[in-house]
Amino acid sequence: MKILSLIITFFIFNSVFAQIGSISGRITDTNDQPLAEVNVIITGTVTGTSTDSLGYFKFSDLRRGNYIIEASIIGYKKFISDTLLVNNNNITLNIMLTEMPVQSEQIVVTAGKYAQRISELPVSASIITSKDISERNVQSLDYAMRYAPGVTINLDQVSIRGSSGYSRGAGTRVLVAMDGIPFYTEDTGEIIWEILPTTEISRVEIIKGASSSLYGSTAIGGVINIITKDIPDHPYTYLKTYLGSYDKPSYKEWDWSGQYRPFNGITFTHSNSINNFGYTVSAMRTENSSYKQSDYLKRYTGFLKTVYNINNLNSLTFFATGVNQNHGNFLYWRDSRHALQPPAADEGQHVTSNRYMLGLIYKTIFSQDFFITLRTSYYNTHWKDETASMDDSRAQLLRSEVQSTNQLSHNLILVSGVEATTGKVKSNIFSNPTSKGFGIYSQADYKLPFPLSISLGARYDYSKLDTLKSYSDFSPKIGFNYRVSENTILRASAGKGFRAPTLAEAYTSTSASGITIKANPALGPEHNYTFEFGIGQTLLNDNLLDAAYFQSEYYDFIEPGVDPKDGLVQFTNVTRARLQGVEVNLNLNVIPNIIEFNADYMYLWARDIEKKMSLKYRPRNLLYASLNYFWDEFEFGADFRFWSKIEALDFELVDLGVVPDGDKRVPVYVLDLRGTYNTNLLSIPVRVNLNAKNIFNYNYIEIIGNLSPIRNFSLSLEVMF
Amino acid sequence: MVKKILVILITGICFLSCGKGISPEPEGKVNTTGFGGLVVFKGKWPTGIKRTLIVAFKNPLNSAGDFNAFNLGFVSDSIPYGISSIFYSSLKNPLLEILPGVYSYVAVAQSSTPTISLTRKDWKVVGIYYSNGNNSNPGKLIISKNEFVPNINITCDFDNPPPQPPGGE
Repeated sequence: MKILSLIITFFIFNSVFAQIGSISGRITDTNDQPLAEVNVIITGTVTGTSTDSLGYFKFSDLRRGNYIIEASIIGYKKFISDTLLVNNNNITLNIMLTEMPVQSEQIVVTAGKYAQRISELPVSASIITSKDISERNVQSLDYAMRYAPGVTINLDQVSIRGSSGYSRGAGTRVLVAMDGIPFYTEDTGEIIWEILPTTEISRVEIIKGASSSLYGSTAIGGVINIITKDIPDHPYTYLKTYLGSYDKPSYKEWDWSGQYRPFNGITFTHSNSINNFGYTVSAMRTENSSYKQSDYLKRYTGFLKTVYNINNLNSLTFFATGVNQNHGNFLYWRDSRHALQPPAADEGQHVTSNRYMLGLIYKTIFSQDFFITLRTSYYNTHWKDETASMDDSRAQLLRSEVQSTNQLSHNLILVSGVEATTGKVKSNIFSNPTSKGFGIYSQADYKLPFPLSISLGARYDYSKLDTLKSYSDFSPKIGFNYRVSENTILRASAGKGFRAPTLAEAYTSTSASGITIKANPALGPEHNYTFEFGIGQTLLNDNLLDAAYFQSEYYDFIEPGVDPKDGLVQFTNVTRARLQGVEVNLNLNVIPNIIEFNADYMYLWARDIEKKMSLKYRPRNLLYASLNYFWDEFEFGADFRFWSKIEALDFELVDLGVVPDGDKRVPVYVLDLRGTYNTNLLSIPVRVNLNAKNIFNYNYIEIIGNLSPIRNFSLSLEVMF
Repeated sequence: MVKKILVILITGICFLSCGKGISPEPEGKVNTTGFGGLVVFKGKWPTGIKRTLIVAFKNPLNSAGDFNAFNLGFVSDSIPYGISSIFYSSLKNPLLEILPGVYSYVAVAQSSTPTISLTRKDWKVVGIYYSNGNNSNPGKLIISKNEFVPNINITCDFDNPPPQPPGGE
């Protein structure tokens, strides 16, 4: 009865805030082309939205008062409106943004779990836009991440500032989320990048450094939040198809098929809104015959997102995304003379998998200064190795979170929440463990007039992983952002992070290629203490220079090692590790609106300070650079990636003879070229992309015994109507 | 100025990327004939050890005379002092490369002499390879051409040393 009363009170309370007025409008570029995914916020509040595919945005239910609207997107100069008086009226704004590649005024929602300017954060952050993804014609998001500042991808395992090496998916130190909902698998704790069609991504926000104070376990190295596209108010259909081929390998010894290896794909998306209900449905098929033998891929991805605005103050978002995949199981090369072929015994092996995730986001607005968000998700994964071991794993993960966002005063915002998870696994490789976890967090962001922003947060987590000893953890964090002058911003942050072991790390029991892995029922969580100091400097012509020093001290670092009692491999909390370095980012308008240049250099010193050895798969020097040239309806771009030679990899696999010539590695120099043509055919926007990746056909590895993609060309066509 | 820097950068990138990177080993240079595994050390390492080697003998060590250079088929690179375990491969920096054939005695042996000696009494066997869980007789290692035999695992228990071949101290 009490609950019923509470619910009735809740709705009565909500209805008190009757609608008074609205601000809506359309945002275009200087050619009157609609701009999608522009961040639009009401200055001084936690209220924000983004434009739909046709450039429209709307703020409803605004109480009487004065409002200032800000609109920003990478590549365009920020728009700030005059003060708008809402007094039982509907205000329409038509905004034209001029091109100006400035990233500092971008809006992110990940760092504090509410909309914030990137320049006001106490931590380093960067953004990948849907345009970046589209122009590079990537088949899954992990390839686009290869050019994100401070991020490295080893095969498909992501790392921020060296947090992770490569462990075949067993545990990640970066929390990856979709609209704020984490989506790592319950069994291996890995990220299945391909579960989300790349065409449905609005932007990707990358927060660097431990973020456990808000996100709990796994965010020990940082957070990547994938923001899906908003549903437009108008019918919208999108079609993309592409076709490509790998070139012949550099050496005749590697030309195992004697053919050009093709790949292709097609994506169809349709969105519409009917009254209070909007939906997006998307389907994608991908086929890749691969440049490596036994590495083919057939994938079907489906995505559904619906938004139901129950009334003016309550909305319900539901999404379902899933992927069916059948791919070859190429683990390592046979030897350097057969670098694109697996060992003869592994030929024909493949893996089938079905994975889907359901998510529900309920948002209720009590006032413009206070709203609550409920996020709940269910992630089901099943994969099966068609190999000698016939490994099979089914995993389920249920997660719920309630978050309140409260602007207590014009300079104080409080974000608090509770989160609970429960999971279970049925597998012949991880046995049948279960898990449960609970977390409670709070973060206050306070702005002083200096202008100095202080961010203070903490999170308590409790975790129980089947037979492992339960444990709890407290993760505090403090951050500062100080605008020294109009063009100079200093930031600093320090915090503690932690990561609970995944079921795979604790319970894997299998044999492969001469190595036997056993479970470790005594495995515990790992911790780190991180510190960062950064400076952002706006130069002439809105050029930007950002530099940061970072350091992470890891304790009980989870790494695979050999148990001296029986010689079997298991994951243990053995290592004390240190990661430190410097990252420098430069955004340069060489010729405003015509040529832009971006570069990110990172020096990373990652070492096991007990064994006095480099950590595996962490290059010491990394440089990403991109050059873009805009000419009328054309855009041309070049992306360059440099890694210095990795100092350590899985040498034991070489010693055991599992990967002959496996210690072969070189510095990485990869150059990709791309061209885009935007036009209208019969008034229908059309985009054509031509991509040439690894144009110099440079042969390199990201992980042992795995040659990275050789030169390949692709042509894609996008139609929007 | 900026444009000049860009031109220099682009030229540099093209120059660096034009290299081929990883290349195949020349034909015949890829030697896959060998064996490997894991050596685990238990207990406290003895003091004064100058070298710890994995060795393989063709014929069983039934007498002190069987410990000779002609019977010796493989000698590994030295194992670092004091470690608790090591993955090894006969292909990696061996002092004496292994050839296809049958090896009756594979062991980890230590010596304390300043230089390598072929005198039996200068060596102590600290671990023996046994096959199929049979710890009563040393396991047989069969090496075929272009074949790598994994899982030749050896446990060295300093507190419980294995039987010593004839001729030792």
